[in-house]
Amino acid sequence: MSEFKSGFFVGGESCNGRVLIVDDEPDIRKVVRMTLQKAGYDVLEAENGEKAIEIINYGENRLLLDVMVCDIRMPKVNGIEAIAYFRENYPRVPLIVLTGFPDTDMATSLLRQGVVDYLVKPVEGEILKAAVGRAMEQRELARL
Amino acid sequence: MTSATIAHSTMETQRNTSSPAALPMKVAIIGAGRGGAALLEVLHQIRAIEIVGMTDKDVSAPGLKRAQELNVPVYGVIADLLRDHTLNVVLDVTGDPSVETMLQQHRPTGTAIVSGQASRLLWLLVQHESTLQTELLHAEKLAGLGSFAAGIAHDMNNPLQLILGMAENLADETDLKTVHAQALDIIEAVKRTTAICRDLTSYSRRASLQQDGLVNVNSKLDEALKIARYAVALQDIDIHKHYQPDIVVKGNPDKLLHVFVNLITNAVQAMEHHGTLTLETIAADGATHVRVSDTGCGIAPEVVTRIFEPFYTTKPPGKGTGLGLYNIKNVIQHMHGTIGVESHVGQGSTFTLTFPGDPSMAEEPPRAET
Repeated sequence: MSEFKSGFFVGGESCNGRVLIVDDEPDIRKVVRMTLQKAGYDVLEAENGEKAIEIINYGENRLLLDVMVCDIRMPKVNGIEAIAYFRENYPRVPLIVLTGFPDTDMATSLLRQGVVDYLVKPVEGEILKAAVGRAMEQRELARL
Repeated sequence: MTSATIAHSTMETQRNTSSPAALPMKVAIIGAGRGGAALLEVLHQIRAIEIVGMTDKDVSAPGLKRAQELNVPVYGVIADLLRDHTLNVVLDVTGDPSVETMLQQHRPTGTAIVSGQASRLLWLLVQHESTLQTELLHAEKLAGLGSFAAGIAHDMNNPLQLILGMAENLADETDLKTVHAQALDIIEAVKRTTAICRDLTSYSRRASLQQDGLVNVNSKLDEALKIARYAVALQDIDIHKHYQPDIVVKGNPDKLLHVFVNLITNAVQAMEHHGTLTLETIAADGATHVRVSDTGCGIAPEVVTRIFEPFYTTKPPGKGTGLGLYNIKNVIQHMHGTIGVESHVGQGSTFTLTFPGDPSMAEEPPRAET
């Protein structure tokens, strides 16, 4: 279970929520993790859609995963397929797309499927944090 | 694709364009300067024409060297050339009136002499044809670059994301060790971005800056894979490489790269992102073979006979130029090779390039070209 980079339970630290970052590029995972951890989020990583599905179905993650930030172009299970799976099986987990290739048609189609934000790399830390913050609020509402 | 049961077809590009029974037109070229060399270059590609010999009083004329490479007999004396062959046409591009007079005097019956302004006209046409081929190659390359956009954006924006994120962090990072490590990460990311630009600008430039020479086929195929991944998603394709070591062919390295990128891109597109791509290089029976195979949709028999025609495409308007395989065929023929395809609908296709001879045995030592 080496992909579980962060602990499952966050101790005394203030935890604003748990985010799963799905991207095949280790660099991206590293930098997104850095930005989000500084903002007080607990971060999990997956290198493709298949791993993301494994992670959410593991242990208590299905209850504790708040937001997913997902790339599109990835090997094995790509972002489109992973998002479809998450929307169907975990409709309450808000999804944010973070892609290197802006594509209006794809953005429209994904937003229709309920993706809450469509961000294009490179995205500034503030914008990413704001998007995750909004998604967290949505997640809270879904829990009520 | 058609629903035809397993279709099989093989095809060579060098089809006889005249009626099957017709013998090739026998042509001799007198004068091996620029004009003669250009004529030779274009005419030898045409199956219906056989260049039976070439002469020039200057033994170092560029056309003579080329003629030898093409196995066209070279003569020092015009009379020997006229005596040895039954000729349909003698092309005199010397521009020398005394040669023209001599040819007219010794003209065998049934042989036409093309000289003076007529041969100049022919030369101009040939130059035009060769410019056109270069332009078509470039046009197709540029059109193809459009499909690279997604791959380029992906590969550029990823390092940019790292650079931005790290720089944002550095703005208020106080730990010197972290500052140092992240600065190095940024430098690496910049290098990756630069490499993308370098690969693609050299790939897209109009004319090759590189001379013809011996090209290492295996490393050229690897380089082509690197470029093809901008155009097509390779991440779910199994790539099998069966390389015989030290395979070299003689030709232009940039043009050969273009050929390989195109064949690989086609193969991956035929597989719709899942399948096996096999790259194979073999030297056997005095020839060098390069094979690019896919496990994709295959090509229907009625299509396979037309794929090397210019502007023939099965892609929707705006998606393909119909020039890819046509240009490949031209490049390969220029290298005195042939291209063939074997395809089974629903199972996949194999494109085979065959280059006669073993250039590694040539007097020229292999260059450290990659």
